Amino acid sequence: MRLSVAAAISHGRVYRRLGLSPRSRLDLLRNLVTALVRYERIETPWARADEMRGYAERLIDYAKRGDKDERAMRMADFWLTEKDLVHKLFKVLAPRFQPHAGSYTRLLQIPNRDGLDRAKMAVIELKGNPLPPLVRPRRDSDRTLLNQLLKGYRQDAQRARGT
Amino acid sequence: RVSSDGKPPKFQPPPKPVIIDRKTKKEESRFLSPEFIPPRGRKDPLKYYIERKDMIQRRKVFNIPEFYVGHILAVTTANPLASDKSSRFVGICIQRGGTGLGATFVLRNVIEDQGVEICYELYSPRIQAIEVLKLEKRLDENLMYLRDALPEYSTVDVNMKPVPRMDHEEIPVNKVQVRMKPKPWSKRWERPKYNIKGIKFELPEHKMQAAQKWSQPWLEFDMLREYDTSKIEEKIRKELSEELEK
Repeated sequence: MRLSVAAAISHGRVYRRLGLSPRSRLDLLRNLVTALVRYERIETPWARADEMRGYAERLIDYAKRGDKDERAMRMADFWLTEKDLVHKLFKVLAPRFQPHAGSYTRLLQIPNRDGLDRAKMAVIELKGNPLPPLVRPRRDSDRTLLNQLLKGYRQDAQRARGT
Repeated sequence: RVSSDGKPPKFQPPPKPVIIDRKTKKEESRFLSPEFIPPRGRKDPLKYYIERKDMIQRRKVFNIPEFYVGHILAVTTANPLASDKSSRFVGICIQRGGTGLGATFVLRNVIEDQGVEICYELYSPRIQAIEVLKLEKRLDENLMYLRDALPEYSTVDVNMKPVPRMDHEEIPVNKVQVRMKPKPWSKRWERPKYNIKGIKFELPEHKMQAAQKWSQPWLEFDMLREYDTSKIEEKIRKELSEELEK
């Protein structure tokens, strides 16, 4: 008989445990953030993408302060391992997201990985990227009841206008 | 003065006095007591709003002065067992904790060679008066290391008179470097996690280097740990000023 119930209660802890240590977790997320800034759309395990999302959005908030800001530059210097991306962050991404208040990324789930681990994968992308869109919004077919009724109403209105 | 012609020199009016308007400056840097700022969490903000209303009610009746860690305070509480029905304690504030109505502050003093710390609740109805005797900030926000420091740094004269505050603007920072008793201490204060600037460490160099092994330099870059309270503080300040003017 089961004497104790092992429940997934985090008791208020919000950070996932990734990698080998807290330092390794930050390094992992740093690599992912660098890749996101470079390629603007990456495919990773869902847990890593979810962790990374918060850091990416805060980095863009820091970048919005401008590159004259000492703290913003230090953050960008730490978080982007490839230094040519610091220029891209301040000159391309910050102006792109200046009119938006938050939520600069989109996270969508993907079918599980093909390898042995069958990991839950996700695609994380920066909004407004030049790549073709991931989700095409589909319009409802003409054969649905509501659309048929609307079509009939439109035809009646046209006939009434014509006569 | 030698005048150019025989006539007496022209009357020079004295220079106009320069009036420095201190009132406007005071309004900008207003003090917001730390217990008003709600902690980060998923609790309903209604709870904090109701608590703030109760705190403001209490503040209207009883004056809680502005004070920081390092100030010397005298607190009179109601005590049914004392002859005067009240007891007075004087000490240095070493820590301010808690949020909301349960906000506390710890006063420390050394009385007859015995270190005494008393933790008072700011909003407790038993407290009859809080007087700030001396205003001075320290280099740290938590002076718990005074427990392991030499007793002369924690002694406060019980019959001290309140030091008059000269300027209505800046609170002086006391940059004293406290000397400690020999190790072992209650906590390893040399470790970077406590980030203490107010101790004069007389430890050998290799011990200080060994303590740096526990430093976590990546923590300052961990952006999700930052709690930006500026907007929350603005709202609470507005609320406070509205309520207290009523």
